[in-house]
Amino acid sequence: MRKKTFAAAALLAAATLTLSACGSGDSADTSVAAVSEENGKQQAATVLDQPFTKPDLVLTDTQGTSYDLRKETEGHPTLIYFGYTNCPDVCPLTMSNIAVAKKQLSKADQDELRVVFVTTDPDRDTPAALGKWLKGIDPQVVGLTGKFATIQAAARTVGISVEPPHKDKNGKMVSTHGTQVIAFSPKTDGGYLLYGEDATVDDYTKDLPKIMKGQNP
Amino acid sequence: MRRPAAATAVVIAGAFVLAGCGSDGKAELSVESPYIPQPVSDTMAAGFLTVVNKGGAKDELTSVTSAVAGSVTLHETVGSSMEEVTSLAVPAHGQLVFKSGGNHLMFEKLKRKPVQGETVDVELHFAESGPLKVEIPVESAVYSPKTGH
Repeated sequence: MRKKTFAAAALLAAATLTLSACGSGDSADTSVAAVSEENGKQQAATVLDQPFTKPDLVLTDTQGTSYDLRKETEGHPTLIYFGYTNCPDVCPLTMSNIAVAKKQLSKADQDELRVVFVTTDPDRDTPAALGKWLKGIDPQVVGLTGKFATIQAAARTVGISVEPPHKDKNGKMVSTHGTQVIAFSPKTDGGYLLYGEDATVDDYTKDLPKIMKGQNP
Repeated sequence: MRRPAAATAVVIAGAFVLAGCGSDGKAELSVESPYIPQPVSDTMAAGFLTVVNKGGAKDELTSVTSAVAGSVTLHETVGSSMEEVTSLAVPAHGQLVFKSGGNHLMFEKLKRKPVQGETVDVELHFAESGPLKVEIPVESAVYSPKTGH
């Protein structure tokens, strides 16, 4: 009787050890990641001390007509994003987040806001292809295409680095998208806020009314 | 006298099951929090999920198949461009995470556009373990697993 109790206790101890060894490995990584995500989630926008000048960019819109970015968006709150339509993940998510947040604004504010999507893959993103894709997100979004070199140079002036589309070793096209959305103030026309790709629809919904007035969120 | 004997038997059985968990060097895979954001394009979509490995051996995700897509490929994000890869490691006692801005499944040549509220059946194939069937729910285009909506 006494012996059996001891054996049971020993087995129980062994079982406890095995359990903890089994369980500890997979939780370590995730808890660290969760903590850092929580910390970064306070404020989606980065406010720039030195706002970007709006790029001097003339490209072709989805109707096939010439679009002068500075002229068309002057005095309007403006969001600019560089991406491409053959992008399954970040580009449609970013544009959909903005589109859904925009719909929470008054009709007048929606008409006042300019959302500009500049393609980084102009060979595939023709005016027609861009128009079709943007219609699925928000027909008010301005889609621009043109020469890649022109787009790349304009992107560089607002701190966005994009590489020319190229074929990978399997012969598939690889394009790059910008990692940030830039918000321009209607008061100064300066690009004063940056949003990373982890900005959610809630972040944009919260911040857009401020951007409409050129205020910091 | 009877009760302690029964208790001992239960503990022994428990110990055998537990020992199987960590020490015999096999991957034990399951899938958590899968979703597909409703795509904008009617030809391509992204999918996200986490493969959890509770076992003591690593494995590799080597391919994904689905009846809704002509091809499903594995991509990892390098800087701001995505690169197709032929396999992704699932570490022992670890996980392989697909999330927006990082690794993603790319569904191409879609036979129909997945719509929010539907589910998409996929099968994950591994180097060592048997295939895993997953029903992936289609969420809104702006779904974020962090907020759950």
